[in-house]
Amino acid sequence: MNPVNRRRFLQLVGVGALGAAGTTALAACGGASDGTEIRYAWWGDTIRQQKYGAALDAFIEQNPGVEVRPEFADYDAFQERITVQTAGRDVPDVFWIPSPQVLSYQDAGLYRRLDDIPSLDLSAFSAQQLDSYKIDGELNTLPRSVLTAAVRYNQTFLDEAGAQLPADDPQGWTWDGLSEFLIDYARNAPAGRKAIHYNAQADLCFEAWLRQHGRDLWTADGRMGFDAATLAEWFEWWEVLRRAGATTSLSEQEGASPEWEVVGDKVLMTFGNSNHIADEAPMFPDYEFGLRAVPVLPDAAPGHRFGYLSRIAVYQGIDDDKLDAAGRLVHFNLNDPAFLRIVGLSVGAPANPRMLKEAYEVANEDEKKMLAVVEQEMAQEQKPRYEAPPGSGTWRTIMARGVEEVALERAGVADAAARVIADIDHELGRAS
Amino acid sequence: MRAGVRHAVMCALVLLMIYPLIWMVVSSFKPGNLVLSEPGLVPSEVTFQNYRDGWDALDEPFSLFFANSLFVSVGSIVGNLVSCSLAAYALARLEFRGRRLYFAITLVSVMLPLHVLVVPQYIFFSQLGMVNTYFPLLLPKFLATDAFFTFLMVQFIRTIPRELDAAAWVDGAGSFRIFWSIILPLMTPALVTSAIFTFIWTWNDFFTPLIYLTSTEMFTVPVALNSMMSSETSSGVGALFAMSLLSLLPVLVFFVTAQKYLIRGISTTGLK
Amino acid sequence: MTQGTLVRPAAETPPPRPARRRTPSFRRQGRAAHVFLLPFLLGLVLITAVPLLASLYLSFTDYDLLHDPELIGPENFRRMVSDERFWASVGVTLRYVLVSVPLQLAFALLLAVVLDKGMRGLALYRSAFYLPSLLGSSVAVAILWRQLFGHEGLVNGVLAWFGVVGESWLQNPDTALSTLVVLNVWTFGSPMIIFLAGLRQIPEELYEAARVDGAGRVRQFWSVTVPLLTPIVFFNLVLQTIGAFQAFTQAHIISGGQGGPLDSTLFYTLYLYQQGFQSFNMGYASAMAWVLLLVIGVVTAGHFLLSRYWVFYGDER
Repeated sequence: MNPVNRRRFLQLVGVGALGAAGTTALAACGGASDGTEIRYAWWGDTIRQQKYGAALDAFIEQNPGVEVRPEFADYDAFQERITVQTAGRDVPDVFWIPSPQVLSYQDAGLYRRLDDIPSLDLSAFSAQQLDSYKIDGELNTLPRSVLTAAVRYNQTFLDEAGAQLPADDPQGWTWDGLSEFLIDYARNAPAGRKAIHYNAQADLCFEAWLRQHGRDLWTADGRMGFDAATLAEWFEWWEVLRRAGATTSLSEQEGASPEWEVVGDKVLMTFGNSNHIADEAPMFPDYEFGLRAVPVLPDAAPGHRFGYLSRIAVYQGIDDDKLDAAGRLVHFNLNDPAFLRIVGLSVGAPANPRMLKEAYEVANEDEKKMLAVVEQEMAQEQKPRYEAPPGSGTWRTIMARGVEEVALERAGVADAAARVIADIDHELGRAS
Repeated sequence: MRAGVRHAVMCALVLLMIYPLIWMVVSSFKPGNLVLSEPGLVPSEVTFQNYRDGWDALDEPFSLFFANSLFVSVGSIVGNLVSCSLAAYALARLEFRGRRLYFAITLVSVMLPLHVLVVPQYIFFSQLGMVNTYFPLLLPKFLATDAFFTFLMVQFIRTIPRELDAAAWVDGAGSFRIFWSIILPLMTPALVTSAIFTFIWTWNDFFTPLIYLTSTEMFTVPVALNSMMSSETSSGVGALFAMSLLSLLPVLVFFVTAQKYLIRGISTTGLK
Repeated sequence: MTQGTLVRPAAETPPPRPARRRTPSFRRQGRAAHVFLLPFLLGLVLITAVPLLASLYLSFTDYDLLHDPELIGPENFRRMVSDERFWASVGVTLRYVLVSVPLQLAFALLLAVVLDKGMRGLALYRSAFYLPSLLGSSVAVAILWRQLFGHEGLVNGVLAWFGVVGESWLQNPDTALSTLVVLNVWTFGSPMIIFLAGLRQIPEELYEAARVDGAGRVRQFWSVTVPLLTPIVFFNLVLQTIGAFQAFTQAHIISGGQGGPLDSTLFYTLYLYQQGFQSFNMGYASAMAWVLLLVIGVVTAGHFLLSRYWVFYGDER
């Protein structure tokens, strides 16, 4: 093999650049400031952007001489941009990490270690917590927030029907029990109302299902932690509901991963992430929503509980003279109550125990439900969770195709599951 | 009578074509929660809230994004008109070695999907320190890299009878003179067309500004609009509609103004 | 004048045609040409050619954007042969090109000719017809299309009057592509404007000459308009075909970048994009791009070859 080293490649591409170096002078204007300028990249909608904008203003006030240049975009656009930036080695100084890319970025050497930056105070985290955040034995990312798998239900609809969810205890709150309840609800529901929308795509809930079955989504060595049989069972759980008329069809919900705005007033229940309630409950202000952890198998594997950590990192190639400011910025995001008061909880519950207490102060009713669910989940015994390996970036797309095949009755659950497994495996194999 | 029928048919067709837009306009005046849930054309409640919300949805007011987009679009028009018409004239009318080759490369560059050029181009511009400036958006236009327009203009020039400039050659005019006083006026429709398309395409372009313009205050309208429609929450459809419609206005105004010049072509400049 | 022969417009203007090579010296024109071409050549080298060659190089590498590219020879091209989704995307794209390009061009030409002359309120109609194209690739189109073709969309609403219960057209793998064809035809404004500009370019004198020869309006259309418009028809055909082969944005917006349901709207470039930016196989994506380039190149060359038989240029015979 003949690896052309990166620098050479950059030079090759930049040959023209040298020729046109004269124009550099023209481009040198813009972004002129005396202090240290930190580039900070995150994703979200405009509401989040405004809140973070306000929070960063507060940060700049606290830290004279530091400027923060936000690089903000919608989730997909964020990934497109940071990918191109990575290819050009022009990465923001501080950035959020999208869930499927945690190990890809690690593999590309984007993360800088975080335990030697004086301005970043880690004392709020326990040693055990810090240990669990490490990737390849190094503390190079930190969790901005924790998300857990959750079931959200419309209390208003329940009351209208005079119905009650199965009891929230190990006997009542099981997958089978929930399934029966949903089918029963749908049978008596008013016209146009279904029990649940078809959401076999909900990745955290699927992962919870896997862990209860003693499987993992990803293994320590970067492979799939589940097989076609477990996936087929998961599909089957949804298919039973669909065949019984308890779910909306893909047509009614406009796709395998529907938007809450489309289905919110049509269904009693939805599967998703704990934090979604913060943004989605306000879309239907007339309804009251409740939140619970996902159901549990009667003989669930020990340590199946888990939280997904949404991570933040500092770029490996950051200039030394910016490190102090970058550390302060991360510190501000993770440790400062003032920050929490401005940005709220739409990204999820804080991982930092001190901030979590603070969070109850700023949370609204819906957000308190989220905090309770997350806290309850995180208080329980957890076996380790491994991040998505390189090559897993498209697994959700592949999964969506499997869900479509099943729900549109183009393939049986076994065939669809086998194909999903083969496709994901193929992608992983290519990346390694 | 026949004209009446024709107008009726046209009006029906127009209505059919722009019904979705009318619906969008109406929806943009509905209160946020009714935008999608109330399908009809008659709103039960009219509000300007979407416009107010949309205008201030980001850190900077939308007027800034309009100004940015306008700057980039106008710059692109100037760049394309100047550089492409020069190149097109040479490719269509002058005899020189390599003409066919250049023409072929022009076409090839239209054929390669943008997405594989993004990374090398990004590396090029980032080595020049041009990221987060408007140079990566404007420089290519001044260097006639929009082969679509070069090709368009070549095709238009080729419809102009060669006798016209041949006569000028005989009178001793140089090639620039011929370009300036014969070809350029005769290709007004092509120039106007190019200006319209450049404006619209630049105005709507999303990917390039997304990659190169990282600060909010540099955003063009589509980048701003995109960040209003988050794939995570899909909130604020009403505000998105409102701002999308507002962003149509400059293009529409430009189009309505520019299309008048489409009417003046050879027919008025004369062929005497 | 005999029936059926074209009125060759150039023949109406009598000055003797100078022979090609007799125009002032080849060398002088060559020098002038390069002055005219200066910006073009700069752009060609700096902005087009270097990335073009880089992508050609990358097509023979394993390049994940995060690490250095690694030469692997023609492996990427070999992989395409056995890649099911690759072939799915080829099928989708070919169907799209074959259906949407002729439909859109026919529609655009028809309306351009109708709108060209002799109607009141022309400017208004023209602008109205162009409006959809202005919206073009806006993110709002995704919601708009759902409102039209979704489960509770307008189309199903109309069908309901006739007692037909429709499913979401966007979520049915058999109909999803058709909604994108409709979207493409809906935005027929660009070729229409080019046709209009072309019609404007036709010298009024030629129509006068034809009228003097006693040609009626239909004859004028076939013997003046059609031949003189052929370079523009050709231009539109070539570029709309290229554009359709590269169709990306609309499918990206409407299917949320997935090309679903069940890959039914997985356009070639959408798959290429997924490979490059989501699976991080930029080497494979580059190889796909060059295969597409070859295909488009062959198709375009075919267009050019055939153009000899039907495209008429005012500058030659």
